[in-house]
Amino acid sequence: MERYIQEFSQSAISLLRNLPKVEIAKAMNILQAAYERDGRIYVVGNGGSLALATHWVADFNKTVFSHNLDGYQHRFQAIRLPTTEEELTAWANDVGYEMVFAGPLRNYIQDSDVLIAISSSGNSENIIRAVELARSQKVPVIGISGFDGGRLNPLSDAKVLIPTMQGDYELVEGVHAIVLHIFTKYFKDYFDNAFLLGKSQVHLPSGARLNSADHIHVPQ
Amino acid sequence: MIISSAPMRISFVGGGTDLPDFYTKYPGRVISTAIDKFIFIAINHAPFTNHVAARYSVCEEVSDPSELKNTRIREALLDLGISTNIEIGSFAPIPARTGLGSSSSFSVALMKGLNAYIGKKLDKREVAEAACHLEIDLVKEPIGKQDQYAAAFGGFNVLQFDPDGTVSVEPLLLDYKKRTDLENHLILFFLGTTRDASSILTEQRANTERNFEILKRMSDSVPVFKDALLRADFQSAGEMLIEGWTMKKQLASGISNSGIDRLFEIAISSGAWGGKMLGAGGAGCLMMLAPINRRVAVVNTLMVGAKAEGFESACEIPVGFVQSGAEIVLNSNGR
Repeated sequence: MERYIQEFSQSAISLLRNLPKVEIAKAMNILQAAYERDGRIYVVGNGGSLALATHWVADFNKTVFSHNLDGYQHRFQAIRLPTTEEELTAWANDVGYEMVFAGPLRNYIQDSDVLIAISSSGNSENIIRAVELARSQKVPVIGISGFDGGRLNPLSDAKVLIPTMQGDYELVEGVHAIVLHIFTKYFKDYFDNAFLLGKSQVHLPSGARLNSADHIHVPQ
Repeated sequence: MIISSAPMRISFVGGGTDLPDFYTKYPGRVISTAIDKFIFIAINHAPFTNHVAARYSVCEEVSDPSELKNTRIREALLDLGISTNIEIGSFAPIPARTGLGSSSSFSVALMKGLNAYIGKKLDKREVAEAACHLEIDLVKEPIGKQDQYAAAFGGFNVLQFDPDGTVSVEPLLLDYKKRTDLENHLILFFLGTTRDASSILTEQRANTERNFEILKRMSDSVPVFKDALLRADFQSAGEMLIEGWTMKKQLASGISNSGIDRLFEIAISSGAWGGKMLGAGGAGCLMMLAPINRRVAVVNTLMVGAKAEGFESACEIPVGFVQSGAEIVLNSNGR
């Protein structure tokens, strides 16, 4: 049994050693640009990937600014789609399962936004529909995939592919969780650093400033 | 109402190698970053006015776009077939002609916004090319493509201009620590508004053959400068800026003048590592890299020196780097 565990962890270590660093960096630049223009970040995924999406949204919206919650004029706006089970089942039941993401996304999407699509196979039809909608609106897509990347990887602006054998869901989803935590940790450190320096009189196209000086009082 | 925006830019090395007379023979390269100074374009559909209004440093109201004096707005409207019932305004935090690429930022924001107005969404590359088409083909400015790409893509990039006319954009993946560090070492010092750069660029283009070896060295210095930034070796980077600036001054007459050369000397003697001018024609912004503990001294010395040289409006412009490129900030015309 120890050997089994060892083999799995070796595979995971090998994937982590070879993380697509450039594509992850590109993804974080896309997120930063969305922040600067006060855009929203939609995240979609099926099954375990939906759980990853939900977990990430919770972390990203709250944890990134957790050390100085009053210190920023605006924060990230990450939204998992669909936002309710009711909406998910309504689209699935009434229209079709392929529209459970693209349907709700159509309600929200604006030019300033970003889509993160998580799919181990990269081939889930409902994910591809959402990605195609985003692309038709010229909204940047961060594609987080596994196996051979499927259809998702080539359609993405940041191509975060964790290459494995077909069907290695456990490894792929585990590494995807790490990648998503890198996003969170990077921006947490970034805003902590900016806050400490009192720096960041940086003006943003949204009209706000990346700023620790102009506090908005938020009742606790 | 549509509001679009595009950032201004700082170019570090390689400027001038983006002109076709050079890059058709040898790949041109430029390294630049978008900064937190944005041009905003507001576009309003005015169905009951029967006019075209353009509001920038002056206000124009005409019945047909061909009557507009603003060449960029005129040619863009004619090219896109927008003939009436439109109002266009532009806004910026600092004046035009500072050497920060604002005229191309204007074109990028304009093309992003006007295309959204007619229901066409452009990605970064499409908007960069649309702005190049506007400025180079339609308005016939003797300029290259670096500023349109810098404004459209945003962030830090190495731009390469290949002989076949394609432009490749390689993002320079500096993490927030290095970016902040560079911001803290960088001084942007405004001297005064530049003359129209066209005459200098026209001379520069005419001199391309003579200057070929210099331009080649400028292009080849881009990867070296990039490595210095990635190592956060800002001293080497500053020294390379001086080399680049010294080369650039040889490209055409009137790029610098004795007053600016003296300001360089006093900045270096106050402890700056190096720098360059942004903008041609004896004005624009002086950009210096300096040790953090010499920053205040360098700025103070420059303030005194600039007044003595007759640059009455000289001042430091605080600057931050941004990832944003051409953006639609607001689109209430539907999706």
